[in-house]
Amino acid sequence: MAKGDAYTLGYAAAVCVACSLLLSGTAALLKSKQDFQVELDRKVNVLKAFGVATIDGQGRAIGGEEVEKIFGEHISEVVLDGETGQVLPGLAVRDVSRDDLEGKKKLPLFLWKDGDRVTRYAFPISGKGLWSTIYGYLALGEDLSTILGVTFYRHGETPGLGAEISTDAFQKQFVGKKVFKDGRLQPIEVVKGRVANRYPEGSDRAVDGISGATLTGNGINRFLNGDLEKYETYFAGIRGGG
Amino acid sequence: MAGNLKKVLVDPLSENNPVTIQILGICSSLAVTVKLETALVMAIGLTVVTAGSNWVISLLRNTIPSKIRMIVEMAVVSVLVIVADQFLRAYLFEISRQLSVFVGLIITNCIVMGRLEAYALQNPPGLSFLDGIGNGLGYSLVLVIVASVREILGSGKWLGFRVIPEAAYSAGYINNGFMLLAPGAFIVLGLLIWVQRTLSKKFETD
Repeated sequence: MAKGDAYTLGYAAAVCVACSLLLSGTAALLKSKQDFQVELDRKVNVLKAFGVATIDGQGRAIGGEEVEKIFGEHISEVVLDGETGQVLPGLAVRDVSRDDLEGKKKLPLFLWKDGDRVTRYAFPISGKGLWSTIYGYLALGEDLSTILGVTFYRHGETPGLGAEISTDAFQKQFVGKKVFKDGRLQPIEVVKGRVANRYPEGSDRAVDGISGATLTGNGINRFLNGDLEKYETYFAGIRGGG
Repeated sequence: MAGNLKKVLVDPLSENNPVTIQILGICSSLAVTVKLETALVMAIGLTVVTAGSNWVISLLRNTIPSKIRMIVEMAVVSVLVIVADQFLRAYLFEISRQLSVFVGLIITNCIVMGRLEAYALQNPPGLSFLDGIGNGLGYSLVLVIVASVREILGSGKWLGFRVIPEAAYSAGYINNGFMLLAPGAFIVLGLLIWVQRTLSKKFETD
């Protein structure tokens, strides 16, 4: 097996070319299917925030067709300008660049309509937790104050501690909390420990923290309330208009 | 020859099991065995990768320059793993997210590299392929057992179906939360190794 260096180099090059061809081939082949899955996952999370059951009676997730059907019947998407809080006409959520989304220069908003009335609002929330950026959705009811649902669907927090934010048990606590009271926003708070200890009389804006995940909770407090403020300019207009 | 074939395929299931006898691939068997469903997908993934890379490397075994032998092996394994990961993302999105980083970590699973070095470099492609399948199944068997124990004790379910009746919960039965954590898997795996070695009379001697 004593072969020259030229052979070794040539062999390495051939392996590289073969591998890269195979990989790019696979990636190109599966791209559309993967994008579809990511898009579906995003929509499922919007539905979850809206409080729609995404798990059927047998404990299985609802299929793509069902999701598309609900989206088609009830949900429309608009994009708001991050500065002015006004709707940018003719712009779809999928056309907004990633930079604009991450930098919150453009704000997607999902409207749930029953007939012609908009009865629920949902929008993406994101920000730093302890280790990672947490992504989720927040949905508000017609009064633009009552939380219908919160989801956190992507993050890299510690499994067993911070990662518990993606459990239903944690997310359900937010349902029914009020973000707007006495004419202004009131901050939602993930407390350290239990709400019952911090606010013995109960609270319509606080939820129990996760032990061992205080910093993840603090992160949520920061970005959730920060994002709410960004959307408030638009919401204030709706409230004002009755 | 037929006896040889059978030996290649069956030996790794028990006598020479990669996990319980050779103690390889422990990390992933702890990480993905909370539920049987993820364990099965992981097991299939590893079996495909081991068999595939064994086959490819065995085909190339007489042409690979010895200086870059391991790098070539690594490249082949990585390509197979990435392809497997891409397919999971396209067709089993939810499961691929639960497996998260562990599919990618098949690359570093000692079973794969171990079989390449120990078997595929010396044997013809057909036998190497079977050896890969055999070792993959040996790993799968352990994963399935550990995952079954953990899912039944930890969640009261098996493959997502409830096996511990609601009546038991009303009567005060509580799932063992410890089984959902990695140390639970460690204990189950330890017991499994003990049982297996006692049965096969295979002990470490010093």
